[in-house]
Amino acid sequence: MTDRNLPPGDGYAALDEAEGLTVEPVTQWQLFRSRFVRHRLAMMAAVVLGIILALALFADFLPLENPTDQLEDDNGRIVNLLSPRAEYWFGTDELGQDVLSRVIYGGRTSLTVAVLTGLMVATFGTLVGSIAGYYGGWIDTLLMRFTDLILSLPLLPVAIVAAAWLREAFRGREALSLAVLLGTLLWGTLARIVRAEFLSLREKEFVEAARAAGARDRRIIFRHILPNALSPIIVNATLVIGLAIILEAALSFLGFGVRPPEPAWGAMAANGGRLAVGGSGAWWLVLFPSVALIVTVLSVNFLGDGLRDALDPTQTIERR
Amino acid sequence: MFQYVVRRLVYGLITLLALSIITFTLLQNTGGDPLDRIKSNPRITQQAVQEMAVFYGLDQPITKQYLTWAGNFVQFWNYPTAWGRSFQGPQQVQALVINRLGGTARLMFTALGLAVLIGIPLGIYQAIKQYSFFDQATTTFSFVTFSTPIFVLGLGLQIILALKLEQWTGVKFFYTSGMNSTSYADFSLGEKIGDTLQHLALPAASIALISIAGYSRYQRASMLEVLHSDYLRTAKAKGLSQRTVIVKHALRNALIPVITLISLDIAGVLGGAVITESIFAWPGMGRLYIQAIGQNDWPIVMAVVMLIGVMVVVMNLFADLAYGWLDPRVRYD
Repeated sequence: MTDRNLPPGDGYAALDEAEGLTVEPVTQWQLFRSRFVRHRLAMMAAVVLGIILALALFADFLPLENPTDQLEDDNGRIVNLLSPRAEYWFGTDELGQDVLSRVIYGGRTSLTVAVLTGLMVATFGTLVGSIAGYYGGWIDTLLMRFTDLILSLPLLPVAIVAAAWLREAFRGREALSLAVLLGTLLWGTLARIVRAEFLSLREKEFVEAARAAGARDRRIIFRHILPNALSPIIVNATLVIGLAIILEAALSFLGFGVRPPEPAWGAMAANGGRLAVGGSGAWWLVLFPSVALIVTVLSVNFLGDGLRDALDPTQTIERR
Repeated sequence: MFQYVVRRLVYGLITLLALSIITFTLLQNTGGDPLDRIKSNPRITQQAVQEMAVFYGLDQPITKQYLTWAGNFVQFWNYPTAWGRSFQGPQQVQALVINRLGGTARLMFTALGLAVLIGIPLGIYQAIKQYSFFDQATTTFSFVTFSTPIFVLGLGLQIILALKLEQWTGVKFFYTSGMNSTSYADFSLGEKIGDTLQHLALPAASIALISIAGYSRYQRASMLEVLHSDYLRTAKAKGLSQRTVIVKHALRNALIPVITLISLDIAGVLGGAVITESIFAWPGMGRLYIQAIGQNDWPIVMAVVMLIGVMVVVMNLFADLAYGWLDPRVRYD
């Protein structure tokens, strides 16, 4: 591969080659291609997420059936278990509810829970991590032991018990209570990341300069250090949103999350699955909420990956 | 080193204590009464209900109930009475849970075995052939699988490979529920093995697929990091064969982080078994857990949650120790 297409500065590879040492060079084209694919995926993911978000936000303005209405035909009979057709794009379920409408409104529930969880994790994780990392000493020890404690709880079993409790405590406000629950369980990783960032950043010269200029702790933390630690926070919060969607769906699936008739993807898939195994043949009841879930989580994860690559200039893509 | 282990064990015990208090407190407030089912039976008198409450210790204050439970729970050698009695029947919780442990273990070890045997070689091969078509196709597959909730995967396998496949071919390849057929006892040895595998395949596959995606992604990243390291360049520069470089120099180092990932994943898979076992009606600990929560049968819930908690603590410690043992650069302080 010692040809003129090698970019300048890659002469070592040619030298190795000449001495019989073969090192496979990564060409600029490969680098470019991998970056391009990555970022194009992240871009696509952002567009898809935008569409899902818009559908969820403006569901009330779309010409949709009410997600909890039992639909009737002209003769007043309930139209249950209709397969997808022009009138009902995603079919109807066993109660005669419109599946398309339920998928879209279910997305509203899922995204509300997930975004609230992401915000809670970002706020709480950043606060704990920055205080622990900035002050050090016994404050650090105390906060980090607490973080370790939260991180070593078995996630799903505890979430289930807590959800069973919240269901009673926050009757009718399931989305909010689920976000509180997931936010409480998931902030630990971010706190660790932020602490590590603060530990290294607080020793930097610009922090010393700020302190010499008379800035108080709060100003140093929020104005000087935090903006430099922002990218891992954004990336982690994005990935937490993906995780929160999965966990919310899992809890709803098991019957401990959002409960029917309120639409939620997890509960819809569970219900469809029960009917399908019972021999209903109503594949659309499982397929549509499942696809909605996978597409949403996949987009969030792609976006998170893309953000990580884009926000971290020290991380070269070909090493990961 | 010894100090480190002792300190970690103390932290582990504190974690378990906190876990038990949190879970116990939450369970007291889930809105139901463990004796609901008995109370709703019109033939049982008020006085009988009262006697039952006394029998189970439910008339005591909450703190007293917790302390009694905790005091008995740690004396796990008093089989089978140590973990209390189920509220829903005559069973002793310890016997019930240990009985179900076998089902969970069968499912978990099959899935983890599959995940290790497929996921790790897959990740290594992806890294060696980075950016090849194979690499790109399989990493995409991993990414999609990794973003799929396990219940979607389980339902999908159930509907396509069990229900639809049977409809299309007329032959039953896989079962959708249970661990064995009801007539299992009458089968010959060959039939028994076949029946067991037909039941095990789908739940194990749905756990394994997600773990395969996770392990291969991690193994690929770890292998790539090693492949770009200086000592690997040295190994190549010494003129060692490609095979020696990969197997002796790269692989050994690239496996270290993955081994710790797997030990952490075991605890996660155990928690996740709750979902898989519910979908496939698998008689394991996870399904017992869900049923017990629904019935406010808190001695069972506590026992299962504590077992999983112990597993998490032990596996976390094991992961850290294994890391230090395999990688001499790691120091404990």
